[in-house]
Amino acid sequence: MKLCTQIERVEKTVDDFTVGPIDLDIELGTITSLIGNNGAGKSTLIKMMMNLVKPDNGLLLHFGTNIKTSEHWKQDVAYQPQSVLGCDLLTGNHLRDLMAPWYKNWDQEMFMNLVRIFEIDLNKRFGKMSKGMQQKLNIVLALSKNTKLLILDEPTANMDIPSKQKLMNILVGWMERDERAIVIATHQVDDIKKLADYIVIMNEGKVLGKYEKEELVYRYKRYWFEDGLEIEKIPGEIDRLNDRLLISNNVDQTDTFLKKNEIKIMQSEVLEVEEIITYMLMGR
Amino acid sequence: MELPIKLSRDSRVPIYHQIEGQIKALIVSGKLPAGSPLPSIRALSKDLEISVITTRRAYQDLEYGGFIKTTQGKGTFVAEVEVKKMEKLAVSSVSEAIEKGVETALRHNYSVDEIRSVFEEVLARLKDNDRGGSE
Repeated sequence: MKLCTQIERVEKTVDDFTVGPIDLDIELGTITSLIGNNGAGKSTLIKMMMNLVKPDNGLLLHFGTNIKTSEHWKQDVAYQPQSVLGCDLLTGNHLRDLMAPWYKNWDQEMFMNLVRIFEIDLNKRFGKMSKGMQQKLNIVLALSKNTKLLILDEPTANMDIPSKQKLMNILVGWMERDERAIVIATHQVDDIKKLADYIVIMNEGKVLGKYEKEELVYRYKRYWFEDGLEIEKIPGEIDRLNDRLLISNNVDQTDTFLKKNEIKIMQSEVLEVEEIITYMLMGR
Repeated sequence: MELPIKLSRDSRVPIYHQIEGQIKALIVSGKLPAGSPLPSIRALSKDLEISVITTRRAYQDLEYGGFIKTTQGKGTFVAEVEVKKMEKLAVSSVSEAIEKGVETALRHNYSVDEIRSVFEEVLARLKDNDRGGSE
């Protein structure tokens, strides 16, 4: 397991909101998705990873280099921001010409290929493009830098459904190339289901945890019982929708208890990813 | 989806084991002959909506078992599997499937005789279908 990014005790306070302290490792070869409500601190964390927001405390390394004291990492990390200011008058071609010379691994062939796939008009001014099209151009520019780490901040928020599907396949293909990693902040369940290996849950500026996707899925379970439950609280119980339907976040504990007390289960099933995330963000 | 794999998330069988078993079955049944390319770990993970950690585990087990081989830069392919090994596996996968059916029946409080008669019924029906289907 090779690390591409190490985040240690990183902290930033703006006005009365503090993000951190955050500890987080990103492994090469994996896709990590950052999940959390609006205002949870995802974008601030991402901006700190790009050194666009300077942390008050802590240490941030990409490929072993401290991003505060060195510039080397910039060749290896690409970033797609949620929004870009100040380039409304520039066309796609202008933006490419401004960006490409800075990246020694710039892949022009990939750039043209992605422009074709997303049907981007490179002669159109950025400000005249739809939000979805602006987003596509930003992602294509980031991908073509051909870096080892790609950081995406809500890449599919404004995209139509076919474009979302296209992007997913492109990202899967992009990961095949080399030892690479993607960090993706997203609210799209499909992104999480189809792309994420690790899920990092953020709430109120803190990281609640980093989980391997299946580990998270198998932690929760829904049970239906043959008879009404007369017991007040069952180990692992986090929700009860009626006296025959219960949700647990500790399947082992719940199963052991049910067996010991001979409570008959009619059926049980794992939860959907969105349900699990909702419970986690409620602190259950 | 490149491979006809169907995962059951509610099964007690771990996901990586389900993938392993189903790919083995595709190989043993001849649906994936030696030399067939398999999807990359990342692509299969996307299709099955699981992490690469889980898919990698299944591929590693299959590789140790001699069912698939990975060539650097080219991808993963079905390996040549000995006929003997294939036969042995076919037997165990059949008994596994029947075991599953019997388990379901027992869960529904079927008696041994009832299970036997259901089995006979299914067998007779499928045999019939087989004859009809070849026309």
